[in-house]
Amino acid sequence: MSGRNAVPVRSRRSVAMLPSVLGELLVKALLVVMTLLFLLPLYWMVSGSFKLQSITISVPPEFFPTRPTLENWSKLFKGSWPVWSWLRNSVLVSLLTSAFVVSISSLAGFAFGTKKFPGDKILFFLLLATMFLPPQVMFIPLFLWVRTLHLTDSQIGVYFAMAMPMIASPFGIFLVRQFAGSIPKSMIEAATIDGASERQIFLKIALPLLKPALATLAIFTFNASWNNFMWQSILSNERINFTIPVGVSFIARTPAFGKSVTDIGLMMAGGAFGAFFMVVFFIMFQRYFVKGITSGSVKE
Amino acid sequence: MNKTSRHSSRASRAAYFFIAPGYIAFLALILGPLLYSIYLSFFNASFNLEAKTFRGLGQYLGLLDDSIFLKALGNTFKYVLVVVPSAIVVSLVIALMIERFGPRLQGLFRGAFYLPTVAGGVILSIVWIWIFNPTYGLLNYVLGAFGIQPVLWLSSPSTSFLSVCVVMLTYTIGQPIILFLAGLAGIQQDILDAATVDGVNAWQRILLIKIPCIRPVTLFVLATLTIQIFQSWETVFMLTQGGPSNSSTSLVFLIYQTAFISARVGKAAAMGVVLTVIIMIVTLFQIRMWREER
Repeated sequence: MSGRNAVPVRSRRSVAMLPSVLGELLVKALLVVMTLLFLLPLYWMVSGSFKLQSITISVPPEFFPTRPTLENWSKLFKGSWPVWSWLRNSVLVSLLTSAFVVSISSLAGFAFGTKKFPGDKILFFLLLATMFLPPQVMFIPLFLWVRTLHLTDSQIGVYFAMAMPMIASPFGIFLVRQFAGSIPKSMIEAATIDGASERQIFLKIALPLLKPALATLAIFTFNASWNNFMWQSILSNERINFTIPVGVSFIARTPAFGKSVTDIGLMMAGGAFGAFFMVVFFIMFQRYFVKGITSGSVKE
Repeated sequence: MNKTSRHSSRASRAAYFFIAPGYIAFLALILGPLLYSIYLSFFNASFNLEAKTFRGLGQYLGLLDDSIFLKALGNTFKYVLVVVPSAIVVSLVIALMIERFGPRLQGLFRGAFYLPTVAGGVILSIVWIWIFNPTYGLLNYVLGAFGIQPVLWLSSPSTSFLSVCVVMLTYTIGQPIILFLAGLAGIQQDILDAATVDGVNAWQRILLIKIPCIRPVTLFVLATLTIQIFQSWETVFMLTQGGPSNSSTSLVFLIYQTAFISARVGKAAAMGVVLTVIIMIVTLFQIRMWREER
């Protein structure tokens, strides 16, 4: 780009590079097309939520809603679906899960990352070994316990039960341990010599340094808990206890008002409503998502 | 000497105290349930556990004769064998394309491809039910423009499996793309520069330098995707309920059905144990591959 003496070289090269410049443009254009195609289902869902029932089943399909309607949305909000309760349930369950995972993992991850103690290797290995267990295997015993303890009798019990399978998070402990390992030993030693208690070291030194890791973990867990569909649908036997994915899937699988045809517009409004919160959440916290994903792939 | 040992015993005590909540949760919510599941797998039981009867290894032998279980097991492997390699190829190609843009646009594309993953399989399936509809779905309309006859995507045994695969693919490539981009960004610039000076063209650069350089990332993606697809079920649940005639069922979907719809808890637990063993073997195998890599 800069430097006058580079000009002759560039012009000679640019003739040879003409096809590759074209190729570069083509590749970029192709990616744009692929991205649009990839996002087409999401567009189809959102635009479909503004289409009349007669138009959603018309052939040829209408690509842009020419006569947009709010009918589906008003059906969703004013119908027999307690959608705002679903939203509240999803938010509270995910917050509860994140709170548990972050506090438990920060304590354990700190210990595994900064301390040597008898049995530390075995204890950590045991955790790691279960990281890849299919959670569905635990669902049967957990469901039995939820029933024995009558957890679903109270609202707070329902929330706790829904959070339950994700509370013990080997991934969380692993993630925090990775970051805790990079806390300078000298800092901890200096604090110990100054007479700081273990609790003070954790609260005053480790926690501030672990903040970015914990934020990543919290955001990741929130999303995972939000989409923990199977367990939530097993637990919610009453509409008022549904979470957003459970409720939205219920709408999608319920034919409209006794008719044999599913109400497509309403389904799409439900889907768009369900997608909205996580999409906004993702856009707000994109870099934490990226960090969470890439820090899972260990380099050492 | 004496002082340090006193100090380290204090530190150990603190360490156990710190890991206690995590370990209690781990024992109560992971290890305990796992062992209990194994125990239950030897019984014929419903959710009313008082009425359970011992069946022993017969439970597992029974699974070998169960055609639906075998179908689900076979399908699960098929899902892994179809979705995992396609997801790796597609996401690697997309990552290599995204890489050509500046950092801002890279972030935008990366986000766009991750959107379906955050929205989740349930939400995505909802719109795909409509797209796959044989009479008024978008897919048959577009194919019709090319003269292709309408296909019963979800309700014919020959296409239901592939239809589910397609939807799975759309929300599994987001994460690999992010990982591949991170891997590609980590390749040292001087390696690439040296290659350019040596007259290596763009294709060779990708095939001979970039792909070998990100091998560890590829292995990691392979491991996580395999485990993820072994456990997939929500697309099956939403799109086909395993049908028609079990052509698209998966092991986890069958476990869900057996335990929570048919209330055959012992049998479902046995299936869960089988899945656990399979995933453990695959994971161990991949860890070995990983070690040999170093």
